[in-house]
Order: sequence, then structure tokens, then C-alpha cells
Amino acid sequence: MQQSKALAFALVAPALLFLGATLGWPLVQAIQLSLQDVRVIGSPGSFVGLDNYARILSGPAFWNATGLSIVWVVANAIVQTILALVAAIILNEKFPGVRIARSWIILTWIVPTVVVVVIWRWLFSTSGGMINPLLIQMGILERPVGFFATPWTAMATLVFINSWRWFPFIALMMLAGLTRIPDDLYEAARLDGANAWMRFCRITWPLLAPTLGVLAVIGTLLSFNVFDIIWLLTSGGPAGGSRTLPVLIYETAFKGYRLSEAATISVMTTIFLMAFAVIATRALDRTDR
Amino acid sequence: MRRSLSLNALLGASLAFFTALIGLPFWWVVSGSIKLPQEIISRLPTMFPQSFTPQHYQKLFQASDYPVYLINSLIVATSTTLVTLVLAIPAAYAFFRLTFPARGVLYRSILLAYAFPSIVVLIPLFGLFAKVGLVDRLPSLIIVNVAFALPFSIWMLRSFLAGVPKEIEEAAVIDGASTLKILRRIMIPLIAPGIAAVGIYAFVTAWTEYVFASVLILSDAKRTLPVGFSGIIGQYQIDWGLLLAGATVAIVPVVALFALIGRGFVSGLTEGAVK
Amino acid sequence: MRTILKIALGAATMLTPAAALAQETVRLTLWHMEQPPHRVERIQELIDAFNAANPDIVVSQEPQNWGEVYAKAPAALAAGQGPDLLFAIPDFTPILKDIGALTSVADFVEELDGKHDFIDTAVEAYSYDGGVWAVPLYNMAMNLWYRKSVLEEAGVEVPQTWEEWRAAAEALSRDGVSGMGLPANKQLYTDQTVYSVMVNGGATEIYNEDGTLRFDNPETVAAYEFYTNLHQFSPADSASWTWGEAEACFSAQSCAMVMQFSVISTYDTQAEGDAEDLGVAAIPSKDGEDHNTISYANAVMLLSSDEARMEASKKFVSFLLEPENYGRFLNMEPGLFMPVTADGAQAESFWSDPMVEKYREQIETVIENSQNGRLFGFTSGLTFPSIAAISAQNIIAETLQSIVVNGQPAAEAVAAGQARMEEVAR
Repeated sequence: MQQSKALAFALVAPALLFLGATLGWPLVQAIQLSLQDVRVIGSPGSFVGLDNYARILSGPAFWNATGLSIVWVVANAIVQTILALVAAIILNEKFPGVRIARSWIILTWIVPTVVVVVIWRWLFSTSGGMINPLLIQMGILERPVGFFATPWTAMATLVFINSWRWFPFIALMMLAGLTRIPDDLYEAARLDGANAWMRFCRITWPLLAPTLGVLAVIGTLLSFNVFDIIWLLTSGGPAGGSRTLPVLIYETAFKGYRLSEAATISVMTTIFLMAFAVIATRALDRTDR
Repeated sequence: MRRSLSLNALLGASLAFFTALIGLPFWWVVSGSIKLPQEIISRLPTMFPQSFTPQHYQKLFQASDYPVYLINSLIVATSTTLVTLVLAIPAAYAFFRLTFPARGVLYRSILLAYAFPSIVVLIPLFGLFAKVGLVDRLPSLIIVNVAFALPFSIWMLRSFLAGVPKEIEEAAVIDGASTLKILRRIMIPLIAPGIAAVGIYAFVTAWTEYVFASVLILSDAKRTLPVGFSGIIGQYQIDWGLLLAGATVAIVPVVALFALIGRGFVSGLTEGAVK
Repeated sequence: MRTILKIALGAATMLTPAAALAQETVRLTLWHMEQPPHRVERIQELIDAFNAANPDIVVSQEPQNWGEVYAKAPAALAAGQGPDLLFAIPDFTPILKDIGALTSVADFVEELDGKHDFIDTAVEAYSYDGGVWAVPLYNMAMNLWYRKSVLEEAGVEVPQTWEEWRAAAEALSRDGVSGMGLPANKQLYTDQTVYSVMVNGGATEIYNEDGTLRFDNPETVAAYEFYTNLHQFSPADSASWTWGEAEACFSAQSCAMVMQFSVISTYDTQAEGDAEDLGVAAIPSKDGEDHNTISYANAVMLLSSDEARMEASKKFVSFLLEPENYGRFLNMEPGLFMPVTADGAQAESFWSDPMVEKYREQIETVIENSQNGRLFGFTSGLTFPSIAAISAQNIIAETLQSIVVNGQPAAEAVAAGQARMEEVAR
């Protein structure tokens, strides 16, 4: 058994060392950087202790961005979970073409983000875009709307686009959970006279919950870190309405030339996220048992 | 399974909704790429092209290095997939089938890899790559993408490994097979669908990555497709026709690839775990 | 095609015996942000001609994206992988100068000035702290673009004053057409359009001579108020516009007028392309006198640390500014890049381009307008390093957004804008 322990370590070691070198070590560097006053990459800095932390925690930018990040994550979680759950339940049914639907639902996820951005930027634009005329035709709008023109519509549009990209992937992960629920359970429930809604509440939901839990944790972390879609579409605007923490970090480092302050925000963000991850996985472990 | 009429109607409606949600944007892009510029930006957009022109594609291939970007992207994505699998399979096997001290802590620390903004590592990684001469070289992108794909890949393998009955492994142990042999001869074939799923996940992660590729690569000849594509967006003018043609060309290869192995991905996810 | 050529070239290089290559071949890398394929192609033609004429120098280009180059250039330079030549706009230069990547090219610019006679403002934008930090290459200036027929039909004259401008925008706004396409994005384009209004309302300077800020003054507030007033005649999505959307709006005839450097090439390829009908005018000023505009003197920074490469780089820049090449260089985007030298403005190579011939009238107006060009932070002959951060964070545009998007009163927003500028200048 001793030998197998060593072997087990040998099997996990490459992955751990790899992650340590590519993610862990840079994180240590970021902590170092956050204690200095470096402005532009490559220029020297001197040790300033916790000054950066004090300044950033006392200013509004960090807290605004934190608030927006929370809005972003929660809104994405809601939209994606609903879309994905409905899609997964449909794909779990049997109907002609279900195999094709199961494969091709993923289309939105395999397209490069930059392409997703360009597609939607075009579709939402008022010159040549399809969305405005479509909504006007359907009688939902009276005149063209600037979707990225006000803070909350910009945020909502970004959430929609990000969810559009990610919900099929999540739907498939849910589908994987659904297919593991034995058909007999549904048959039995049906014989007991349970209707579709009751079957969902009593069988589907409870049995899917563990999968959903893990997905929720990882999905939260993944969507928290979404940067390219927001940056390429709104650059955090308008009027800072979509400046989430990753956007703030990038902006501080590369637009404001405050590399050390960007590192400080990064470190604090990391602490928050780690705390969330630890608490959430603990909670999941408890429900697992 | 029999469904009531109303459920069937609901199913049909939802299907139509999702088909439109996913399909329409792609239809607009692909059909837009063959329209004349005037039609693309006209105030009343057309659902079906009223004009036809190959001019956007001609411009795309004449003037930009699209084929080179495509090859670079394929190299990066394929290598990322292979490296991810080589690292993830043994690690996942150890995490979910073997017991060893600190297993839980280590497993959790891997998932924590997602607990910090990826931009955090951009600057330090640039410095690190500069030291070892990897800036402006494709391996730097492979390394970054593996780092992003690996934690989730390990987690994805969990349910597949959990699906393999203990008895199969125990029988092999009694037969005197070593752990490595069990992994190679028994586990890997049994979780093949899961491996396919993880492979595609890693491939797509690398295929779609933009931020790191845009900063770590300096020269045009080493750009990946997303970065090359963003290059034609331009600063002062937007040539929507060119962009739509570029988008179509960026979509086609993954669609082709997915047509070949996509089913494996989905059945890998859904039916893979040994029943 | 370029791919095949590249591979062929690569193969040819490999086949050539190493000894046959001149020992002291100097390899130069040029970074620029002119990414659209046709511009890259034109630059490549010039590079090929230069390389052929100078067998001991091999120049190669690597087009970059404005979005990333601010992060990438300092990082690459720090890693020792930076370019030898890098195109720049005035506010990009102080950043590289501050990290010690630049040496003064005053002598070289003087030499070129003797030969070609630079427009003074173009050199001024790069002259401060006792040196000249880049060589001016081309100019871009904002103008007001319209269709003559559209103005005629609405019975509107080309506006000269702010009052006329507003009235024209209002008159032209009908049947779903926006009278005046103005951006309100937090982005460089908005900085440019807002500043173009500011310089026409007496708010040219944002710094006092001692380096303190004077952004918060009645003229600036009035300019913002006027801009906001005019912005009501812009399309709904203008808060997310960059240059391209404005041009598309104009091309699609959804915008009657736009403020833009040049719309010529989109107008020609994507709209009706009728040279007779395309109108361009100087930006209206508050009282109708002295029309000013924003102008961007783009330049090239020389970054090599060793002598031989620096000499080779200078040779290449001299080559580009030679009248017979310079026109071809500028016409990589006809109607957008204006000459910064006196002999360039006369150059046969500039005026003989078919597109330039077609739109000669408009281009002459654009060149004339660019003579009155100003650039915020580079107006007084004194330049303060904080302008880099002020531009990079688009504080001028951000201030506009506070008014247009959040409905803040102009005076308050401008005061807050100055506070922001002071904060980033810290």
C-alpha cells in the first residue's frame, strides 16, 4: 500500500506542478507587485507596504466594481440556469432529430469569443443590425434602441450574450446528470398519477441538485472571470455601468498605468473568490453526505 | 414515453425558440457574408440575401493571412488537448480511485485555480516567458491554455471514473496487475467517452482564447485565428462584409471538426459513464 | 497569396548559402497599428522596395492592435523583444519615454525638416523635455461630413456657427434619419469629437503653463453643454460608437452628418460613391470665426538601442518621407492620412492615386482644415506626462458620459472630470 501512495503522488504531481508554475507562481508575483509602486511594466518600483490596499479599499472604484461583478455573476447564473435547464429537459426527451439537436446546441460555445462579440455588436447596432428591426416588427419596440447606451441595458445585453455563449455547454452538463436518472423512476411516478410538474419537483430536481451544485460553483467562478466579452463590447461602459472587477484590473494596469494597484485589486479579488470557493465546496460536501 | 398533446405543443414551441436563439445569429452572419455592402448596412435588413457577391471572401483571402492563423490555431488547440489529457488522466485517476494523504486538500486546491481573475497572471507570465524565451512562440499559448483547461478537465473525469465498478479493478488486482497497468489497460478504455469529452473541452478552450494570445504573440505569422480575426476589425472603419466573411471562416473549421467528433462529445458526456 | 509568397521567401532564404548573405545584415522590426489588410499590403510594398534598394537591411512589419499595444509594447520592450520602429500618436510617446525606451531624435527631425519642411504642429506634439521623441509621419484631422443633396433637399446651408449647426441637425432629423451622428462612448473617438467642439469654443488648453489643470472652466462647460444638446439628434446606440459605426451610419444614410477624419473610402466602397455629392467642411465654431479641429500627428518612434540598427531605422524613415514614396504611403487609406511635410503635400505620388483624384476637392478641404489642428495636452509647447494617462483613460469622453448617460449637469461633470484628471496625474 505504501508503494501505491507514492505512485498516487507521482500521478498527481505533474498536474499540480504544472498549475503551480503557471498559476501559483504568477500569483505570488502579483502579491509582491501589490506591495510596491510600479506604474508601467518594466519600470522599477519601491516597497510601499500596504499603501495600495489602504487606498483601494477606501476609494469607490473597487467597491463599485465588486457590486457590478456580483450583479454580473448572479444575473448570468439565473439566465443560464433557466435556459440550460429547459434545454436539457427538452434534449432528454425523445423526438425526431434529438441526436442532431444534442450535438449542435453547442455551436455557440465553440465559436471564438471575438467572433461572438462581432456577431452581436453587428446584430445590436442600429445601422444594419437585425435585432432592432425585428423587435419593431414584432411590436415590442417603437423605434430603434441603443442596447449599449445606458448602464443597465448594456449590462443586460452583456449578460444575454454571455449566457447565449455558455448555456448550451451547461445544458449538456445537466443533460449528463439527467440521463443518469433511471427511466423507471418516471414510469413509477406516472403510474402513481404524478403530472409532469410533480415529476420534475420530486424526481428531476432532487436528483439533479448535486450536479447543479458543482456546476453552480464552477460556473460562478468562470463567469466571474469573464473579461473579453465585456471588454470588447463595452470596455466597461457606458459610464462605468459594466466595469466588473476583471475590467477594472485591466483598465488600471494598462490604461491607467498603475500596475501595482491592479495587482492589489487582483489579490483582493482572489481572496474573495477563494473564500467563496472554500465555503461553497464545504457546503456541497455537506449536502453530498 | 408517451406525451400528452399539450406537452408536445410546449416541446415544439420550446424547440423552435431554441433553434431560433442559436440558429438565427449564425444564419444572419453566414447569409450576410455574401451580401453586397449596401445591403448589409441598409436600414431595413433582409432575412434572405437579395444580392450575391464573393467580394468579401476574395478580400479576406487576398489580403490577410487567414490560412496561417488557422494552422496556428489548430497547432495550439491540438497540442493543448494532448497535454491536458496527459496531465489530467493520471491525476484524475489518482484523485478518484486511489487514496493517499492530503487528497481532499490537493483536489480542492486544483479547483481553486479558477478562483482568481485570469488577467492576474498575464503580466507575471509575460515576464516568466520572456526569461525562458517563450514570448512570441506558440508553446507559450499551449502552456497557458492547458493551465486554464486542466482543473475543469480533471473534474469532468470524476463522474466517468466513478462509474467504473470497483469489482473490475479488484479483479485485476487479484490477477496481479499493477496500478499503472490497470490505468492503461482497463480504465482508459472504459472511460474513453469521457476522455473524448475532456479533449473537446480543452480544444475549444484553446480555440476560443483571445486575451493571452493577443498579448503573448508579437508577430503576425504566429497569430491564432481569434487574434487574426480581431486584426481585420480595424480602428477607423468597419467593413462589415469582411468581418462577416471572416467570422464565417472562423466558424467553419470548428463546425467541420464538430461534425466529425461532436457526437462523441455529447454521448461522451451523457452516456459515457458505464451503466 | 501573401502566405504563398511568405513560404516561398522563407524557402529562398533557407536555400541561400549563409556566406552569400552580407555579414552585417541589419534586421529591423516595424510595429504599426494600421491593421486593415489593404493598409498592411501597401506598407509591405514599400518595405519590399526599401529592402530591395538596401541589401544590407531587412525590414519586416508586425501589425498590432491599438487595443493591446499599450500593454504589449512596454512588456515586449522590458522583455527585450520590442520593435525597432513603432508608430505612435502623441499621447502614446510619453509612456515609452518614461520607461527610458526613447532617445531624442531632434537632430534627425531637423535634418528631415530641412529637406521636406514639416508642419510645425506635427513636430510640436513630440517636442518636450528638451528633445524630440518621434518623427512625424502623417496627420489626421476631424471634419464635418455631409451629402450636398441631403442638405439641399432640407433647405439647409452648411453650418458655420454652433447655432446653425444645431438648427441644421434638427432640420435634418426626420424619417428615421439622425441629423448629426455624434458618439458618446468612453473611447478615443469621443475624446476627439468632444475636443473638436471644445477647440471651437475657446477651450483649447486643458493645462495651465505651470502644469496644473484648467479643464474646469466656463468655455469647457459651454462646449459640453452644446455637445449634449447636439447629441439628442444622434442615433440611439451612439453611446457605444467607435469610428466605424459613425461611418456606417453615414454610409447607410441613417446619419445626415457625422464628425469624422475621413469617410471617403467607406463612402466610395460601401455607399453610393458619388464624388460630386460628398461634402466636407470645417467644424462649426461658436461664433462662426476661426474654425479649429483636433488633429493627430501620427509619428514613428525609434527604439533600437544599438547604433547600426538606429542608423538603418533612420534610413527607412527617410525613405518613407521621400516624396516619390510618401504619397504611396499616405494613400494606404486614401483620404484618411494627410501629409505632414510641405513637399509631401505637393507630391505627384500622393495626388495621382485614383481615389485621391476622384475626391480631390474633398481632400484639399481636409488638408486645409488640418492646418488649424490642435491636440489636447499638446497645445502650449509644454507637455506634461500625465496627458498619457488622461488620454488613455478617456477622461474627456468619460465626462461626456456623465452628462449624456447619467444626466449630470455639465458644470458638475466637468468639475468631476478635472478631479479625475488630477487623480490620474498623481
